[in-house]
Amino acid sequence: MTVENSGNNHNGKFRSWLSGLLLDWDRTQMLICFFLVVLLAIAPFFISSTYYLGIIILATIYAFIGISWNIVAGFTGQLLIAHIIFLAVGAYTTIVLFNNFMISPWVGILIGGVIAALCGAIVAFITLRYGLKVDYFALFTIALMVALRTLFLKWDYVGGAVGMWFRLTNPSFDKMIFENKAPYLYIAIGLVVIGLIIQYRIYRSKMGKYFLAIREDDDAASALGVNTSQYKMIAVVIGAAMAGIGGGFYVMYVTFIEPPQVFNLGLNVEIVMAGPIIGGLGSLAGPVVGALLNKPFAEIMRGALTEGRSGSSLIVYGSFLILTIMFMPRGVTGVLHTIYRKIISQYQRKAQGDS
Amino acid sequence: MSPEIFFQIIVNGLFTGGIYSLVAVGLTLIYGVMIIVNFAHGEFLMLGIYIAFLAWTLLGMDPYIVIPLAFVMVFGLGALIQRGLVQRVLDAHPLNQIILLVGVSTLLIGLVQFFFSAEPKAIHVPYETAVISAFGLRFAIARLVAFFASMLISLLLYLFLHYTRTGKAVRAVSQSRDAARLMGINVNFIYYLTFGIGAAVTAVAGVLLAPNHSMIPTMGQAYAVTAFVIVVLGTMGNFIGAFIGGLIIGVVEAIAGFYLGGDVKIIASMMIFILILLFRPAGLFGRNRS
Repeated sequence: MTVENSGNNHNGKFRSWLSGLLLDWDRTQMLICFFLVVLLAIAPFFISSTYYLGIIILATIYAFIGISWNIVAGFTGQLLIAHIIFLAVGAYTTIVLFNNFMISPWVGILIGGVIAALCGAIVAFITLRYGLKVDYFALFTIALMVALRTLFLKWDYVGGAVGMWFRLTNPSFDKMIFENKAPYLYIAIGLVVIGLIIQYRIYRSKMGKYFLAIREDDDAASALGVNTSQYKMIAVVIGAAMAGIGGGFYVMYVTFIEPPQVFNLGLNVEIVMAGPIIGGLGSLAGPVVGALLNKPFAEIMRGALTEGRSGSSLIVYGSFLILTIMFMPRGVTGVLHTIYRKIISQYQRKAQGDS
Repeated sequence: MSPEIFFQIIVNGLFTGGIYSLVAVGLTLIYGVMIIVNFAHGEFLMLGIYIAFLAWTLLGMDPYIVIPLAFVMVFGLGALIQRGLVQRVLDAHPLNQIILLVGVSTLLIGLVQFFFSAEPKAIHVPYETAVISAFGLRFAIARLVAFFASMLISLLLYLFLHYTRTGKAVRAVSQSRDAARLMGINVNFIYYLTFGIGAAVTAVAGVLLAPNHSMIPTMGQAYAVTAFVIVVLGTMGNFIGAFIGGLIIGVVEAIAGFYLGGDVKIIASMMIFILILLFRPAGLFGRNRS
């Protein structure tokens, strides 16, 4: 009798915890992300092809970088179009530290993140403290990207136009070089989990509310006493730091970097923008959902339908962006949210009918 | 520096600046009327040069004959993009507008890359390297023609905007959308027209580049960035500002290129851009916000 009772009690607690979770859309989104992450984590047990595993790893990295952009563009509404600048800074830092100073990528990636954050602070300081309009800011970042491409092409220390190969040695954990692909996937998943937690914490914090206020109405937020320039700067620095870390890991995985490859709007759309926008810009699950949809789809298009002709992935990403803005501006997560609200309201009506 | 070299640099800068002016005029026209920064602007230039490439390789048509053809084709495409896509996000958050146009840009680059590959292409016209010498200066024919054609088209566009009924309607819409609508102007038609013209003059700039430039699908980006700098310098939406700004940036880049080497000249535009943003965000011809 007592045993059964306590069991019931436990069951009731679990049910109330679960309904508390499911009645909160933010937490439901995190639950969706959790399931996706679990799916990613068990993928190596079912997929042996290194080609497919490679696509999954890239999609996971894109998800992490997408999260970093989502904080700047999605939450704060600052159109840091050429976010890939910070990815490139992190990537170059990591590879230079490893090749020239034998500093382990585990440390190098973090240093890359710090330097990217510094660059983010400089960019934000130049542009945002005057309350630069969204389109001017977007223009500035693109112009900066083109200028940096020119600079890096001329800068022989970082490989110049030739680019830089990661100096491969025997597989070892401390150099982040592994024999098979699975460890890369688990590191990428680790990054995504950390990114999701950071994103969630920011979203639920007071600072997150300021970010959203700035996105919705810059002037109104400022009139209500939000130091808009400061919070925009914080958002850019956080985004830049995460992108730098993601970039460091990205270059560890692809083992090669050259200026035309990274300072490139096409790659920027692929890595940074497509995921969050298609998934749902400003939502919590958007970057992960979007990245996991996009990358595999673009690869299928490239491999199967167009016989690997170059440009097909750009066609896919470009059409995706256009279609998303035209037909579902809130992305896949927005569509899920609509379905979710219908289910919840039905459920609540039923619950009311029962009582 | 001898006077000859100095004047040669100025002439070269003006020649490049003429093309810049044309691209920037298209951009500033679209911005002035719709308050939208056309992030796909460079791609229209790229389309223009590829149209010239196609006409030359398939039909053997000289780029200068292709100009009206390219104008009409890209005008149609621009009006279509405006009607089908941009029109529907005019009242949306600027974020959505910019993302949409980045999508258009990515799609256009992807399509051209798909059909023509990412390898550089070039056409070889008989007058490719022809040069006229005068006053101790050398004028490459193709660039001379490109400069005067740009000037002429900008002038025609200016006359159109100021002395025709339709042109006046375009300016009326740029001053006040609602007042123009109340005066019986078909605002949507003006939007299609403006986006079409803005795209088409940019495509013409691309065609003018064709005789002595190689082309790659992403070439528009660099021109678009320069045009962004120019319209910010010359005040967003200001026609004369964009025109003069183009010539200024052309000359500045030529001087910077002489001292720093050709590829680094974009750094000079970048420095100008930062300086404007810091000290005069409204541009040379605008009123600064207090």
